[in-house]
Amino acid sequence: MKKIINLTINDQSHEIAVEPNITLADLIRYQLGLTGTKKGCDTGDCGACTVILDGDVVNSCLVLAVQANGSIIETIEGLATGEGLHPLQEAFVEKGAIQCGFCSPGVILSAKNLLDKNPSPTEQEIREGISGNLCRCTGYKKIFEAIESQSS
Amino acid sequence: MLLPMFDFHEPFSVQEALELKKTHKENSKFLAGGTDLLVHLKKKLISTDNIISLSKVKDLAIITKEEGSVIIGACTTMSQLSSSPVIQEKFKALKAGCDNLGNHLIRNRATIGGNACNASPAGDTLPALLVYDALAILENTEGKREIPIRDFFTGPGKSCIQTEEILTGFRLPIPPAHSGAHYIQLGKRKSSEINVVNVAAFLEYDPSTLTIIKARIALGSVAPTPVRAPKAETSLMGQTPEESAFFAAGEIARRDDCLPINDFRGTAGYRQAMVGVLTKRTLATAFDQAQSLS
Repeated sequence: MKKIINLTINDQSHEIAVEPNITLADLIRYQLGLTGTKKGCDTGDCGACTVILDGDVVNSCLVLAVQANGSIIETIEGLATGEGLHPLQEAFVEKGAIQCGFCSPGVILSAKNLLDKNPSPTEQEIREGISGNLCRCTGYKKIFEAIESQSS
Repeated sequence: MLLPMFDFHEPFSVQEALELKKTHKENSKFLAGGTDLLVHLKKKLISTDNIISLSKVKDLAIITKEEGSVIIGACTTMSQLSSSPVIQEKFKALKAGCDNLGNHLIRNRATIGGNACNASPAGDTLPALLVYDALAILENTEGKREIPIRDFFTGPGKSCIQTEEILTGFRLPIPPAHSGAHYIQLGKRKSSEINVVNVAAFLEYDPSTLTIIKARIALGSVAPTPVRAPKAETSLMGQTPEESAFFAAGEIARRDDCLPINDFRGTAGYRQAMVGVLTKRTLATAFDQAQSLS
């Protein structure tokens, strides 16, 4: 039976009816059309579906949509403003940290969450901060440089 | 991958959760962090018609102090535990276990109760729970019982929790002065790998005689459940805490206290060799900590 849930995604509030077996990733992609959140493994290994849920990064493929009732969620679409890309996104473009782009939304959200909590992370902290996000274009070095360029 | 259909229940108290469990019995599963349960449901390894989510039961996600012990709620996440001052200060082996479980995305969801109920022989927090002599707190509608964690695991994926029971948390005695503990895991890739071998050790020594008065060693991934290493522990009693005693204990643990299998993660022989090395190292670090904390 469908349940009515309320959540705020990228500062917009939504009231949606969802089946209990729908994950947050599927809700975001298929019911809300925010396809910046990717689905890779669907088992919490790759991090492509990373979103920021109440201030913490999570694999949205391992959260039921009904569990997110009442939560505040940030997806990659929430980063850019009318003025243009988020500085972190600019840095990824600048440093060539994007190749195929499939891991980028997840990596950028992990990096943003890391920098929000810890504005000047060490090398080790940056590496650990993105350790849940797999990149198969072997682009970690440039990703690392892009994040490092944004630390204060 | 689609999740099978199920009814979703969201109780606000332990009592309410237990009533639901009583109604649905075997045809229901408690959902804590979901990092294992949802994967198992997606892969059709398990099936159920009722999911009882515990995320709204607030009492389960807290750490409290209670005369000589710390109570960790079953739904406390790895991230919560890692950042808790009492865990950082008094339970370093448990903190190491939490820090090593999966990656930060998983650690923000995964719970200690889930790790125990999943009862994987390789579970990252389980050797630490064993060496701290934790008690598992189980509740049903009739009342509570507390059982030693070493009697909790009954096989791979199996524990002694009864159908109508819930694990509400763990009671960990606060370690005495002149004691220390450490945990080391060995896997292929740090961020997302099931351990090949994982070992925790706890050591208490008498500073006046410089002898070991208590030793507990727990081994993961080398038996059907996480296990204690009783023979290695006994060998340490009354010994001077030094490299040679730790080495000897490692040799005994490797030979007498484990029974690993061959699988694609490693051979039995390799695992045994690593039990020796990791036992020695965890004991040495546990002793270093015991000295620095006293």
